[in-house]
Amino acid sequence: MYDLSNVLETEAVSEIRPGTSVLIAGPAMTGKENLAMEILADGSRQGEGALVVTTGSDADTVVEDYQERVSGSNNIQFGVVDCRAEGSSGRGGNSDTPPGLYIHHVSSPGDLTGIGIGITKCLESLHGSGATEGRLALISLSTMLTYTDRETVFKFCHVLSSRLDAAGYIGVFTIDTGAHEEQTLQVLKQAFDGLIEVREGDAGREARVLGITDSPTDWASI
Amino acid sequence: MTDSRAPVVLIVEDEPDVAETYNLWLEADYEVRIAENGDEGLAKLDEDVNVVLLDRMMPGLSGDEVLERIRGRDLSCRVAMVTAVEPDFDILEMGFDAYLSKPIRSEQLHETVEKLLERSNYDDLLQEYYALVEKQATLETAKSGAELADSNEYEQLQGRITELQDDLAQTMGGIEDDSDFITAIQQIGGDDT
Repeated sequence: MYDLSNVLETEAVSEIRPGTSVLIAGPAMTGKENLAMEILADGSRQGEGALVVTTGSDADTVVEDYQERVSGSNNIQFGVVDCRAEGSSGRGGNSDTPPGLYIHHVSSPGDLTGIGIGITKCLESLHGSGATEGRLALISLSTMLTYTDRETVFKFCHVLSSRLDAAGYIGVFTIDTGAHEEQTLQVLKQAFDGLIEVREGDAGREARVLGITDSPTDWASI
Repeated sequence: MTDSRAPVVLIVEDEPDVAETYNLWLEADYEVRIAENGDEGLAKLDEDVNVVLLDRMMPGLSGDEVLERIRGRDLSCRVAMVTAVEPDFDILEMGFDAYLSKPIRSEQLHETVEKLLERSNYDDLLQEYYALVEKQATLETAKSGAELADSNEYEQLQGRITELQDDLAQTMGGIEDDSDFITAIQQIGGDDT
């Protein structure tokens, strides 16, 4: 079981089943990405593997940010699939990549096969390093949706969730609710086991969890 | 599967003895069609064919050319390329779903055909699942909670969605291995690229 209650202070997320995939949804600038990265970092601090599929920041930025989050922890096993590396080739096998770090480049957020291969290679490396538990974050589905349609993204999420289930990992996927039609959000939700909604409340950022427990949790600040 | 008819396998192979051997191995489980060359293969190919076993090296149209024409037609069949030598990686770009290196053994052939049938079954299930999820989302956006609770159609839809989730989770062991994962993704990305 995965315990996310260090990051989201609610009992609802203290026993997340391996294979669970969760959508993190909210308007722009409400800390979705930060929440996703914190969920990964919390796992890394406990010795789990971590894997980020990024469509926005480049791999170096993601790695730098992650190292800050987990500073002080040893033996971090971290994979990055950088989907915005136009024209650049894989760096994963180069000698300048530090141990425990696995980076794969994909030409575009619309290249789903490339992303799939990158994820597969990272999962292999993480498994090979002994990380039988781990967390994946995909940031963000909104960017993917600008490259391809919702049917394709839905199917991709479903297939990826199934793969994570087989691997015993959990996944978090971010989406900007302001950027898409209601119908698109409604459809994509169905590809996930649960939903974390975030918003900017009067007293700062808040989140609630739906679908993991029988009834939604109350909004609580994060 | 609800369809009780046997899946259809099309063998495109220029050596009659080899084609007959495959036929003997497969005929108990599948409806088998045999073509002696590429042109005949394309003529015997229709929507009913589930799996094509395609010899790469043939006089006349080569296996590669036949494959290209198959992909040019809007057919959902899966293609296993039969090669004399272990192919290079570049062959993966060519758009077939599996390859077999000669000589082929009976179990190997069965395994490959079964795997391809399961994959195409998975794609069909995923397509149906998506269509129903779309429908569900449309209803949920258009109707109130009370209206939905009263709706028989909505209830049936939800039931069918749950069934499909179970079916998908059981097909291919729910995407257990890497090649299933990659081919499943290739298939969904294939339509609009």
